[in-house]
Amino acid sequence: MSPFDGADTPEATASPPPSAASPGAMRSASPDSGPAEESLLRVEDLRVTYATEDGTVQAVDGISYELGRGRTLGIVGESGSGKTVAALSVLGLTRAEGATVSGRVSFEGRDLLALEESELRAIRGDEIAMVFQDPLSSLHPMYRVGAQIVEAIRAHRDIAKAPARARAIELLELVGIPEPSVRVDSYPHELSGGQRQRAMIAMALSGDPKLLIADEPTTALDVTVQAQILALLSRLQRERGMALVLVTHDLGVVAEMADEIAVMYAGRIVEHAPAERLFAVPEHPYTWGLLRSIPTLDGPREELLTPIPGSPPSPLAPPSGCRFHPRCPYSEPEHARTDPALEPVPGRPDHEIACLLSSPTRRRLWKELA
Amino acid sequence: MSSGEPLLRVKDLVKHFSIDRGVMLRRNVGAVRAVDGIEFDVMRGETFGIVGESGSGKSTTARLIARLLDPTAGEVRFAGRDITALRGESLKPVRRELQMVFQDPYSSLNPRRTVGSIVAEPLVIHRVQADRAARKRAVQELLETVGLNPEHCNRYPHEFSGGQRQRVGIARALALGPKLLIADEPVSALDVSIQAQVLNLLRDLQRRLGLTMVFISHDLSVVRHMCDRIAVMHDGRIVEVASNEALYDAPRDPYTRELLAAVPGARRVRERTIPA
Repeated sequence: MSPFDGADTPEATASPPPSAASPGAMRSASPDSGPAEESLLRVEDLRVTYATEDGTVQAVDGISYELGRGRTLGIVGESGSGKTVAALSVLGLTRAEGATVSGRVSFEGRDLLALEESELRAIRGDEIAMVFQDPLSSLHPMYRVGAQIVEAIRAHRDIAKAPARARAIELLELVGIPEPSVRVDSYPHELSGGQRQRAMIAMALSGDPKLLIADEPTTALDVTVQAQILALLSRLQRERGMALVLVTHDLGVVAEMADEIAVMYAGRIVEHAPAERLFAVPEHPYTWGLLRSIPTLDGPREELLTPIPGSPPSPLAPPSGCRFHPRCPYSEPEHARTDPALEPVPGRPDHEIACLLSSPTRRRLWKELA
Repeated sequence: MSSGEPLLRVKDLVKHFSIDRGVMLRRNVGAVRAVDGIEFDVMRGETFGIVGESGSGKSTTARLIARLLDPTAGEVRFAGRDITALRGESLKPVRRELQMVFQDPYSSLNPRRTVGSIVAEPLVIHRVQADRAARKRAVQELLETVGLNPEHCNRYPHEFSGGQRQRVGIARALALGPKLLIADEPVSALDVSIQAQVLNLLRDLQRRLGLTMVFISHDLSVVRHMCDRIAVMHDGRIVEVASNEALYDAPRDPYTRELLAAVPGARRVRERTIPA
């Protein structure tokens, strides 16, 4: 039964936890969790809605999560689940688009949602940095890569151009770009996709961030390049004690990278657990569906996959009650009316779940499935 | 499952795309060797996988086999016949037997036409089922075969989800009763929970209709799940062709090994999924 309490298998953590505090202590953040340091990022009841021509989209519908220093949270979900908005709202990046944002986002005790745009700008790109899926759309095509990194450095630090350029070369070297003193003068189109993503990461590191938010950072890359970029992110994180929020649709990527995983569905977090636990004893039927529907490199070949029936709901018209109930094989009539809250599994404060089935029922069902 | 003469034979196939410079005086300044001399056989009833990264030439290969592109050199033989040089009208009978499913179910379906008329189009072009009522029945049957509600034939593509659109694309590909289906990244654009539905459908159709399939993907786990034999492409060449078991259990080529090692956490997902 080791998976039931095995949250700390060595290979589970691409980067070793920086403090002795278990993820559970970190997440509960109660006074009795002892001297565990305060979490770096705490998101409480975040809600983001957009007004569109077709109606109001509730992109994120009351999510809460916490992240300790140096740790990695993987946010997993399909398109429209709200995973990207959940991460980018932290930076106020949803403000400009006519979105309504409510809730609290505290970063080292400061409420980011209450800050002025100018104050937020001082944090963004400095203490909190971002890496996006497509480096081509994030790097300016007409400026040399080095110049863009210099600009990023000088936006937050009062230093002259020459030392900033030296720093840019250092950063390019740090992210593994060959001949950094030559490449610093390259234009983005002269770099390969993997190198552009490395350059983006170099730029993100220019302010020595405490938190890096990476939105599908390897989705556009080939599998061999993806492996290199993930290894790079792990190394940088380990060396710098940087926390990472990794947004992805790919369970393989979070399996490799994350300390803890939040599974999102229709704007909500439906399950949140330490990575080991999520894969060993997942409790949400949607998580089961995801795990059972992906082919793996060493599963049985002849078996048919078990797809999740139906399609992800439109964010314009999310289902009533439990949002997963129309696709859930275990739903009962009552589940269309009652909206489950995200609550800890009995006896496991670090494993939260939003499901109307009882915990014993869920464990029994998963045992039957697995 | 595979026996006798191969349905598809590819020999020394080459495709170079020339790079031209200049506006007034266009001149050729070189060529990209997208496919650089490849060779393989696909047996009847088999699912043959082609796996590779972007730029490996796998999609160009698909288009060459489907005769959507003209090869620079080499030969494509289909059902014992050299189809490399066929054009226009003479290609038409081949097209009936060799159909393609594309990656993007959003851009490969005409948004202004109903799903029924999209699926019926091959029947009209090839003048099978000239009778309207018979054609309608055929379309409804096809929709049912791919797991769509036949009553939805008057709806437009935008009314369907990504997975349903891919089903429409598959129904269209099946309309003429092809022998060979070439699926180029058929699930890459779909959400994780939907991919399994489409993969299961393709496997089921392949068995039920006795189809031969060329399945092209960048995803090693998906290819392992779907294919009997697999070719690994790299820089326009095939570096290894092997049975499914041999490729995944004992890969010979260093590039294949590199690809397999790079799959993020796939093995771990499985390990973690098996309760102790």
